[in-house]
Amino acid sequence: MSLAYSTVLQIGSFMKKIILLLACWSLSTVTLAGQTLAPVPGKVVAPDFTLQDTSGKTHSLSDYRGRPVIINFWTTWCPPCREELPSMNRAWHMIEDEGIVMLAINMGEDEDTIFIFSADYPTDFPVLMDSSGEVIEQWPVKGLPTTYVIAPDGTIAYRAIGSREWDAEELLDIVRALKTSQAH
Amino acid sequence: MFDCFTPEHPYRPIAGLLLFLLSIPGLCAAEVLRSANEENGLEKWHFIEGDIEIELVQRLPDQTRALLMNHAFSKTVIEQLAQGCMFQTIIRNSGKSSTGQAVAIDLTQWRMRHAGKTGNILLKEPLLASWSDADADPAAKLVIRWGMFPTQQEYLPGDYNWGLTAYGIPPGSTFDLLVSWQQGSAQYHGEISDILCAPDVDKLK
Repeated sequence: MSLAYSTVLQIGSFMKKIILLLACWSLSTVTLAGQTLAPVPGKVVAPDFTLQDTSGKTHSLSDYRGRPVIINFWTTWCPPCREELPSMNRAWHMIEDEGIVMLAINMGEDEDTIFIFSADYPTDFPVLMDSSGEVIEQWPVKGLPTTYVIAPDGTIAYRAIGSREWDAEELLDIVRALKTSQAH
Repeated sequence: MFDCFTPEHPYRPIAGLLLFLLSIPGLCAAEVLRSANEENGLEKWHFIEGDIEIELVQRLPDQTRALLMNHAFSKTVIEQLAQGCMFQTIIRNSGKSSTGQAVAIDLTQWRMRHAGKTGNILLKEPLLASWSDADADPAAKLVIRWGMFPTQQEYLPGDYNWGLTAYGIPPGSTFDLLVSWQQGSAQYHGEISDILCAPDVDKLK
């Protein structure tokens, strides 16, 4: 084998390794970044609210003190909200017996609109109605969907801007860990 | 496996430099991909640089009319927005750099170039402030309050937001969008050129 040909093979092999390494590195970071929850520093107390759900039951956030609570702000006309609702429903069935609460707060729509929407996107966890948008204004929400995870002590532990695959075990494990941790 | 990274390998410094450069956000050149949806023909511009991704998807004036007519907006406001060149917009912090740094967006710093002039894009705050209750009732205003893109927002890796951006120029116009964002202490700038506002229904074939 000539020296020149050997050098070309060596460079080709080298480039393949670089490309493989970069591809693995790129894929792993994007995948991880997609299913993360951002810790909220400073132990900010979650604003309390009292809202009715679509079946007429009243929920106050303070009723759930002592348990982790996942709160999702959404609307029917928000595409990423629609995208994540099925995974939230699957997640709910994974955690409903684990002492974790899941609440979806619809912003600005009436019961009829949500009812019609639920035919295509059924949810088995409570959907609360913030028809006037007063509750969402008390929270540091900038866009929809935004989801907060509330620690058992009533402080905001994590937040997610944009949709997530909520039935991902690594994501639910973050929520489950709040049941035993005193600090986050 | 990766024996090329052993100390004696001649390409080790090159590989190290390459990985180092790729890990620094902003050093990779911006990439703008323009594509069209095969089903509906709507065009999309996808800007990628470092950790930030910005997607602008054309929105037909009739799509905006359909959204707004479900709420108590006046005809004047519906036409103002429908013919105001709205785009479905997605901004994402992909976290590709693995620095874990947030990306901060401030739409007041974005500029648009159209017909030889450079100006600001339309923001929701002045729009909402300009409307009386006859133009849009409080429930209708909520649609714009939460449907249009947040003027300022910070994105941690994995975060993304979706919303409408508006440019206030007629359907079928073209413009350049000069975007900016902050990551850490550095301010970054980029440009998406020749963006085409979707045509109105009378211009559709």
